Order: sequence, then C-alpha cells, then structure tokens
Amino acid sequence: MADARFRDAQRLFQHDAAALRDLGPTLETTVTPPEPPRVVQSDVIESTTVRAHRIVDPPSVGFDAFLDGAQESKVIHYADGVPIVFGRIAAVVRQRVLRRMVTWKRPLCRSRLYVPRDLVPPTLWMRAVDAGFELVDTSDRRTDAGWTADDPHPFVLAQRALDAVKRDREAAERQLAEEWCATQQDRLFIDGSIATSDRVAAAPNAIGIIKSHRTLYVAGAAMRVVQSLPVNHRSSVIRVEAYHRTSVASWYLRIRDSVGQDPMWGLLRVETALPDIAASPQAIADHATVISRWILAELMPLSLPDSRWDKMVYGIRDCEEFLRSLRA
Amino acid sequence: MVATERRPNTPHEFHFWTALASPVGIGTIVRVDGRPVDGLIPHIYGIVVEGFSYTDLMSPLHDVIGHDGTPESAGHAPTDRAEIRLYTAAVLRQIPDEPLQPVPMGQVFLATEDDVAVALRMDGYLREGNRTGIPIGVYRAGGTDSAIYLDADFLVGPEAAHLNITGVSGLATKTSAVEWMLSSIFAHFPAGKGSVAAVCFNVKGPDLCFLDQAGTLDDRDRELYEKLGVPAAPFANVHYYAPYNAKGFSLNTLRSNEALLHNVTPLTWGLREVMRFAEVLLNKDDVDAKADALIDFIAERVLDKDFSDERLGPTRYRVQSFADLDKWFRDVLRAMEAADDQSWRTHHVATIRKVRNRLSNISTRCAGLVTDDGTVSDLPFGNFEDRAVYVVDVANLEEDAQDLIFARVVSKLREHLERRDLGVKHVIVFVDELNKYAPSDGQDTYVRKMLLDIAERGRYLGLVLFSAQQFRSQVHRRVVGNSGTALYGRMDADELATPGYLVLSPATKTKLATLEKGQLMVRHPHFTQPIFVRFPRPAVMLGRDGAERFPQAAEVTLEHAVVRSLRQLDPGITLGWVKDVIAIATEEEVIRARNATLHTRPDDVKTFFASQFRRIVAPRQPARASTPPLRTTPADDPYGF
Repeated sequence: MADARFRDAQRLFQHDAAALRDLGPTLETTVTPPEPPRVVQSDVIESTTVRAHRIVDPPSVGFDAFLDGAQESKVIHYADGVPIVFGRIAAVVRQRVLRRMVTWKRPLCRSRLYVPRDLVPPTLWMRAVDAGFELVDTSDRRTDAGWTADDPHPFVLAQRALDAVKRDREAAERQLAEEWCATQQDRLFIDGSIATSDRVAAAPNAIGIIKSHRTLYVAGAAMRVVQSLPVNHRSSVIRVEAYHRTSVASWYLRIRDSVGQDPMWGLLRVETALPDIAASPQAIADHATVISRWILAELMPLSLPDSRWDKMVYGIRDCEEFLRSLRA
Repeated sequence: MVATERRPNTPHEFHFWTALASPVGIGTIVRVDGRPVDGLIPHIYGIVVEGFSYTDLMSPLHDVIGHDGTPESAGHAPTDRAEIRLYTAAVLRQIPDEPLQPVPMGQVFLATEDDVAVALRMDGYLREGNRTGIPIGVYRAGGTDSAIYLDADFLVGPEAAHLNITGVSGLATKTSAVEWMLSSIFAHFPAGKGSVAAVCFNVKGPDLCFLDQAGTLDDRDRELYEKLGVPAAPFANVHYYAPYNAKGFSLNTLRSNEALLHNVTPLTWGLREVMRFAEVLLNKDDVDAKADALIDFIAERVLDKDFSDERLGPTRYRVQSFADLDKWFRDVLRAMEAADDQSWRTHHVATIRKVRNRLSNISTRCAGLVTDDGTVSDLPFGNFEDRAVYVVDVANLEEDAQDLIFARVVSKLREHLERRDLGVKHVIVFVDELNKYAPSDGQDTYVRKMLLDIAERGRYLGLVLFSAQQFRSQVHRRVVGNSGTALYGRMDADELATPGYLVLSPATKTKLATLEKGQLMVRHPHFTQPIFVRFPRPAVMLGRDGAERFPQAAEVTLEHAVVRSLRQLDPGITLGWVKDVIAIATEEEVIRARNATLHTRPDDVKTFFASQFRRIVAPRQPARASTPPLRTTPADDPYGF
C-alpha cells in the first residue's frame, strides 16, 4: 500500500502528533473475521439426498474470463482514539485470449477514507473533503449498535470500517459481473458468490466459486458426504438460499485429493443460476457435471505459491496478481 | 520502464519490459522519453544488452506438481502463465548530457533512423559541409533500417585510427568485411582529407587474389550498397605483386592465370633491399652484439661502396649483390687464413664465418624473392595512386620471406609517408593472421615491433593498420588496444571466455557466438556501446570462386614462362622467337634477362630482351696455318731419296 493517494492521506495527518509512523499490517489480517462458522440445511434439487458423483469425463475448457476483487485497509490516524481508515478496493475481469490473460475493460479501483463522522471533529472531516478525499461515514445510527458515540471501542470502529471496505469491494465486483453478464455471452468464473446480485445470479454464463466454507450449506449425513468427497467428485446439486440474497443452485466439488489433509482441502462450492423449474434431475446433474469439468480444467497451472493453491485456479490468481500490481 | 531497488536505473543502464511479440532483441536501439523538465523532454538512448524472460512460477517443482509429473500434460493447461520479457539497455547517450543522472522513468520507443544517428553521435560527423562518415553497414532491428557510419577522422586518422577485426575462420567475415570497408572508404573518404590507397598482404589462399573481378551479389546486397552509397563494383585499380617461385620461372601466386597477369608484377629484391632488414631473418641467437656490429659494418662500409683493404690486396670491391657479397666474404676469409689472423678489423673470424653463413643463406631461404644478382622489382613507392589497392601475395612463401616482405614494405611506406612523397596521403595496410605477426606472447620480433610502432604512431603519418585474426586474445594488447575501431564477426565460445570480453554482457556474447554471415559487432570511439550491423557481400570475386574460374597456371618450362611474362609487354612475342633467343643461354641468364626486361619495360621488348644475352659470334673456320715447306733435298745429296 504505497501509491500516491495513500501517501496523500498520510500527509493529511502528518502534522498531527498522533499521526502513525508505523502503520503496521492491514486490518484484513488483524481484525477478527466477523462471520462465525455455521451450518445451513439446504434443499437437494438434483435428487433427494446428497450423494457423491464422480466426474467421469475428462476436464474441458469452458471459462473465458475470471473475476476477482481485492481490498486493503489501514488505520492511518487516530483522532482522539477514533481510527481513521484508508481503504482501497479494486476488481477486475481478466479475459483469456489465446491462452493468455488480458484485462477486460478497465479494472474498477477506488480509495476512500472511512471515518465515523459523529466521533471526529468536524474540522477533520472538512479537511479531508477539502483535500479531495472521498469519505465514507462509518457512524452507526442503528439502535442495536454495540456501542454509542460516547464509548466507542477502537476495535469495533475498525471492524466497521473494514465491513464498509468489504461492501465497497463487493459492490465493485458486482458491478463488473453485471456488466459482463449484460454484454457478454462468454462464461465468467467469479471468485465468490453470485447471489449478491439478482442479475448475475440469474445469468447462465456466470459461475461463482466459493473457496471459504465458514458456512456449510449441508448438514448431517450430507455434510459427511461432502467432507469425504473423493477427488474429481461433486456433491448433488442443492438450492442455496440466504437472507438478502438470491437463491442459486450449488454443489461441492473436490478438485484435489484430500488424503492426509483437512476435509476442506481442495473443496470448492460452485454456484450457478437455478435451473428451470421444468428441468429434469438428469439435466441438472449434467449441467453440474459439465461445469465441474470446466473447473477441473483450470487446475493447471498451479497457483503456488499462494497458500490457497489447493482451491484457487490460476485465472483467479492472475486477477489477484493484477490487482496487486495496481497498488504496488 | 521498470526500476526497483534490486534492479535500479543508473546513468549507464536502465530496464524495461515489452509485449511478448515485441521486435526488441539484443542489440536493439531504443529511445526513452522522460518526463519534461523545465519544458524539455529528456531523451535517453540505449542499446539492449541483456534480456530476461520468466513467469510467475516460483519453483520448477510447482510445475511438476501441477502437471502430476507428466510433461506432456503441460500443453493442456488452458492458460499460459503470466510471462515477462524484461530487457536491460546500456545507455548510449543522454540528452541533455549534463547533469549526468540515472535514467529517469519514461516511455520506451524503438529508435527511428534519426534516433540512431543521435544515439551513436553520428550527427556530429554527418553534417553537411563537414561530413566524414564512412558507412560500415546497416543497423536493422525493430523495423528500423539505418545506415551506420564510422568517422573517417577516427578510422584513418588523425584523431584515432586503425581497425581490427576478429572472428572465426570459414565464415567469410574477416576478409569480406575488410574488402567491403575498403570499397566504402574509397567511395566516401572525404576529398578534403586527401588521397588514400591500400596495401594488402594476401597471407593465405586466394583470398585477395581477385579484387578486380566482379563477384556475385543478390538483390539484398545491392539494396545495401545503394542505401550506403557505395558502388557495387570491384576495385577499379588493383596491382598485384608476387615473388617468383624457387626456380624463378613463374610467379609464386594463385593469381597466375594468364588472363589475369596484366596487373601482376614480380616482387624481387637484391642485397641492397634486404640488407637493412637482415634482422628480420636472423633470430636472436644469430644476431649477438658482435654479429650485429659486422652487419652494420657491411651495410655502412661495404654495400654499394667502393671498398678496398690492404690485406685484401689491390682489388677494389663494389658489393651490390649476394654473389658480390659472397665473393667479398671469401676473399676476406682467405686473406685471414693466409695471414693466420683470428680477426679482421676487430671482427673475429668465427663471427665473420657466422654472418657469412647467415647472410648468404638468405637468398636460398627467400629464393624467388631475393635474387643473387641484385635485380629489383618493387612496389611503386613514390608513385602510389589514389584509391588504388596494392596486393602483395605472400601466401605461398616461407615464413621468413613473408616476414621480410612485410617488414620492408611497411618500413618503406613509413619512410615515404614521413617524407610525404609516397604519392598518397594515407595508406591502409591490411594484415590478416595478426596473431602470427604480433602475438601476445613469445619473443619480440622485428615485425611485432614494427606493428606496435604503426599501431601507436602510424595515425600521425597516415599509415593505418587494418588487421584481422581469429583470436583477438592472442594478439599483442597494444596492437589491438590502439585500434580505434574494432569489428567482431562470429566468435568462438572459448575466445569469448577470455578476459578481453568481460565488458560484454552474457547476452551480447551469445549473440556474438551466433552471428550470421554478413553481421558484425562494431566498436568505434563515437559509440559508447558495441553496435550490431549488417554489411553486404563484397562486390569482388571470392577467393575460392576466382580459383575455380581462373585456375592457377600449371608449372611451365622456362621458355613458356618467359613467353608468358614478356607477352604482357609485347603480345607479339612467340614461343619460337624466345626459344631462338635463349637457345644457348643458361637458365640463370634467361631469368636475369627476363627480369631486367620486365623491370625496364622497354618500348622494344624483343630487342631489349635479346640484348641481355652475350653476343653470339658466328662460327668461323680457322685459317689453315701455312707450314713452311721442308727444306728440299740437295741435288747432290748422296743419301737423298
């Protein structure tokens, strides 16, 4: 995090004795993840129970583009103990042309200051606005907030800023995905859920791949089936529904052998638009198998040295590297 | 451009990356446009000296894992890894020159033709009215086709001079490059700098034997000639010189075909010409201080002088040939023996015998070049012609004779240039196999000392050395070090591993090791970095082509050799006439007569040639001596019959 805008933000407060010299790691690595692990029961739409299905046919190349986003947040100043967070988000679609990745359209990049307006002096807010910064008010005026203006805990404030940055990042990803789905026929590999956008969740050419499994959409025996999926096997297709989210079809896919590893090793969850109501179970199964073959085709090249290489396809790693280069 | 802490830009190099399909390669010249400073855009010119390509793969093992250890599956990956072409360029020039700073960040462009001229500082010597550019070839990279010029002031003098070319044998680079350079110099040498000629020593095979014959050129060559403004034609004015073979019948050259003899002149020297260079033929063991003193004595007091000595009796000696010298030695030694003396004029008898032995031996060791009788046929010192090439063919000679020829010709050139009476203002001397004549190791020889002298002081005289060798590292450092311009053809990897090439990047070395025919790397005082150029094939016949088209004349009889020689002066000479004239002459007399005729080049060849022989006296029947009659018997002789 060393671009010109970040340095501008630092300069904004450098005259202040409370300005941070050692900014330390980003909030993404220090603030506790907000989402607790949970299990959600889902309906099976391929058949009646969740089973393991072997992907018999060889992998085939089906994706034409990859979408991913990135975010980075740092506290750059404490105003009377209130953290001022500089956040930067970006999202990109990298299209595969003749086996090489090129950027589709322009990547979306945005940097903002995340400040609880109620808790800082008005002069600070105005100074930042005058300096040309886009500010996001992270004040919480909900009644059920865990804090009040009188006793803010700095960690909670930082967490709220981090949430705001995340929302911005998801919005950028959503915007790009919607633009793609509105204009392109080619298939897009989205790193993350497609359920955040109605348009994307309904698009036939958008496939969401989820690598983190803090929420498991299978329970009981189905969970055991998923956890013990052999490599090159997928689970039965389920319907995933969530609050404020569009329902999508989903299944688990084991892309790497997890023998000797934890049960989540090489395990992905795939999201696509819900099939037609009239679609037969076989059609749903075929569709899931074809998409699984597309995903398996993306295992090469390996995404090492990324620590998530067991779940990350190279196209997404390429997006991340691209986004990393933007903030270098 | 890219610059990192580990790989920063400096005043002498910078880094940039390109698209994978970019035409940039090693040797490509690029221009960097920096950000404006005080309204001026700084321009930095560089030449690519190193290239890197890598992907985001951290470890080869990752690829093995990714493809399950099966290389064939690598081709099935739907995506190629992100890959970079990263280049390092050495700075050729920064504008403005001051202050000299690390190369600023900016955009990198392929150099245009104008950029190349600026980058190589050619703009300084290609100005109209003060143009001293000598084209050496074409820089061809990234779609740019740009003529590259050397500065005549730095190639032929006086600012710097000399050219050295290195390259492996057999790729037609060294000789071809020199032939091309001579054509280029003859076409572009500025009129204001005076006249120029070339003396080439043909040291091996038929390399330089057909410079006046047209060679084979293709369209690409002609385009290059046209672009560089050099006529695609063989040399118009070439003179060949070659000694005779040991028998003295015919010239010892591969250019002995009768159709080409019109401009081949014998090269023969007598004692006078050789004596000054006796040192060349005598090794260190021979020429100790005592022998040196005697040789000096002979040169100063005996040679071409009327010499007499009371101990030699009343004879007055005038030593002008090896035969005269041998007679003089014989008489000196005989006189010493007669007087039972061990020394004569402070010279010990052993020294005299040793020097006699060594000097007399010269005409044997250099038979065909050195004549016993002192006949001289030489290069036209004093009458050199502008834009003429004088080829001295020493290819078939013994090493001693080669050294002698080289030493004397170059010394004479130097003398005449010092006196400004050679006929031309500048002479380019081309010597191939320089590692033989000026080796980096071994004992100091006369020839090496002379080459060092040319290399270090020749430019002030207009005596310019163009030299070539296979291994530059084996040539004396001061000779190659004083060559202002250096050309490199394809190089041997072992040679490139020697310390002399440490300044070149590994990529440049790789390129040097794989250069095609017609490509050279050029170092020149104006170029801050070596440049790669292409040059056309010389417009002269290749040695091997010439040897096939004009096969060497077969060994001939003395009569045929004389006919062939004299026909150059008078085509009407017939074999029958020659046979009649030389019928009773000895072989030695015939050769002497022929040499004298060729040297004099009389109007009436027949008369002159015939006059060289002893007059033939018509046989006469001796008159019968009248014997006085016996006394008649007296009539009254009682015993008479």
